[in-house]
Amino acid sequence: MARDVLVLVEHAAGKVDSITSQLLAIGQRLAQHMSGKLVAAAIGHQLETVVAALQGAGMDRIVVVDDPALNLAAAEVQAHVIAEVVRQMDPRLVLIGYSLIGMELAPAIASKLGINALTNCVNVEIRDGAVTVTRPVFDSTLHAQIALDENENAVIALQKGATSPSEIPSQRASVELLSVDVGNFPSRSKVLGISEEPRGDVDIAKADVIVSVGRGIGNQEKIQLIAELAEALGGILACSRPVVDVGWLPRERQVGASGKSVAPKVYVACGISGAIQHLTGMRDSKRIIAINKDPNAPIFQVAHIGVVGDLFEIVPALTNAARAAGNR
Amino acid sequence: MNIVVCCKSVPGLVTDLKISADRKSLQYQGQLLVINECDEYALEEALVLKKAHGGHVTVISMGSIKSQDVLYYALAKGADKAVRVDSDCQDPQVAGTVLAAALKKLDFDLVLTGTQARDTLGGQVGIVAANLLRLPFAYAVVDVEVRNVNTIKARKELGGGRHADVELQLPALLCVQTGIQPLTFVPPARRIRARQQPIGSFSMADLGLQAEQLTPKGYRFVTVSPPERTHQVELLQGNAQEIAAALFNKIRESL
Repeated sequence: MARDVLVLVEHAAGKVDSITSQLLAIGQRLAQHMSGKLVAAAIGHQLETVVAALQGAGMDRIVVVDDPALNLAAAEVQAHVIAEVVRQMDPRLVLIGYSLIGMELAPAIASKLGINALTNCVNVEIRDGAVTVTRPVFDSTLHAQIALDENENAVIALQKGATSPSEIPSQRASVELLSVDVGNFPSRSKVLGISEEPRGDVDIAKADVIVSVGRGIGNQEKIQLIAELAEALGGILACSRPVVDVGWLPRERQVGASGKSVAPKVYVACGISGAIQHLTGMRDSKRIIAINKDPNAPIFQVAHIGVVGDLFEIVPALTNAARAAGNR
Repeated sequence: MNIVVCCKSVPGLVTDLKISADRKSLQYQGQLLVINECDEYALEEALVLKKAHGGHVTVISMGSIKSQDVLYYALAKGADKAVRVDSDCQDPQVAGTVLAAALKKLDFDLVLTGTQARDTLGGQVGIVAANLLRLPFAYAVVDVEVRNVNTIKARKELGGGRHADVELQLPALLCVQTGIQPLTFVPPARRIRARQQPIGSFSMADLGLQAEQLTPKGYRFVTVSPPERTHQVELLQGNAQEIAAALFNKIRESL
């Protein structure tokens, strides 16, 4: 039905990703507003545990495409299958997580369907009667609100943590198998295998205190200042992606969408502007302290405590304060 | 192996920002134009592949005449040929359509681009073009290996430290991540020399595109403004010692 909301289920190894429950919570609100149904769509192979885990998460229907060829399917195949599901279900909106999976699939699905994809959204709501998304532009220093025209279909890709999952009354959803011809799609790529990052010597995800360094540090030698602060606080040194890209710290120290997700008691961000890929990996930290010279840096949108200033003055002073307290 | 690299010219500073009269795009003065960061990494990867496997590298950029500097920069880095597509559209479906039409006019085995432009933050155009040209594609690629004249292997990020190895038949399109290769320095003399090289250009008429295909549809911009703060950040003031003492107390009470 053209008033329905379809949520694409993200899952790996039989587990449903937390982004899916966020999407279902938002999807339920939107579907209610539009007097439509909420449909969850899962594609893959042997999805029994995925379907069982979805039950009670608020949707009216679960539709499944189960095919051995979807076990390790390339993006072009997944996009084809999802576009077919959308054609069969004919929803008004398709919600996808703006994870690395959704980043790859959302534009392809929309292009196949000839509709718009609104990616990287931090919010979607009904505003003045129109489906309206909020998404960052210009390095996340500004947010644009974009309203869909009446009855216009779209794929909407939402950032993880964009909204907290709400309490959804439990109900049993009907489960339907959809038939999509997967095998005959003329695929020109295939997934050879999936690998986990080899575990390094440090696991930043276990620390209570993380002191994290970003591009603002300027050069490799100065990282020592941040390492000293981490040590003085009894914490661990981590970093944002640009620091790894230039080879100043190893990949195992990277916080963010492509690195590790962390939620320590204290997260100190030094010279990190706060690209969304970084915020995704640390926004659940209990207390976030940001030190940055740019008052408009997006990191201050998630920080609890902020210092607009020179990290080369603040960090050594904080290290001294911590050391002095330790020596008392 | 012939490679096309799509590089966007992005502003470091934006002024006079407003929503266009038709509410389909953002209007602004973009200053301090630079090559989009992950596109520069795509260019580096292309040059490394060229060195190892031969062929030529063509850079393509969509934008006004102001974006030409990015193409000279790419030529100075070692690209063989540069083409500007005369379009300043921001809509990802339209931009993907334009890019696909431009790619059809070029000779390539592989198209490389970045994951996301820092201005629109959409991350769509490469994949839309791939879909329109029916090219296999992969996003957030961190490693490329040429297997033979017809096949490459790409390692792509899945998030949380997981990766997938994907085999793609050529021609294919990859959106590469930052950090895939080290960035190289371009001596000023080479940058000056590069400005003598010709830059080709495609107009919308050259690409056979009609106004209808170039018009964004289905949405309108409502507002553009600094992000609403969901919570108030507590900003500490004072000299470095005072701030450090206050911060240390806050940290201690959080543990």
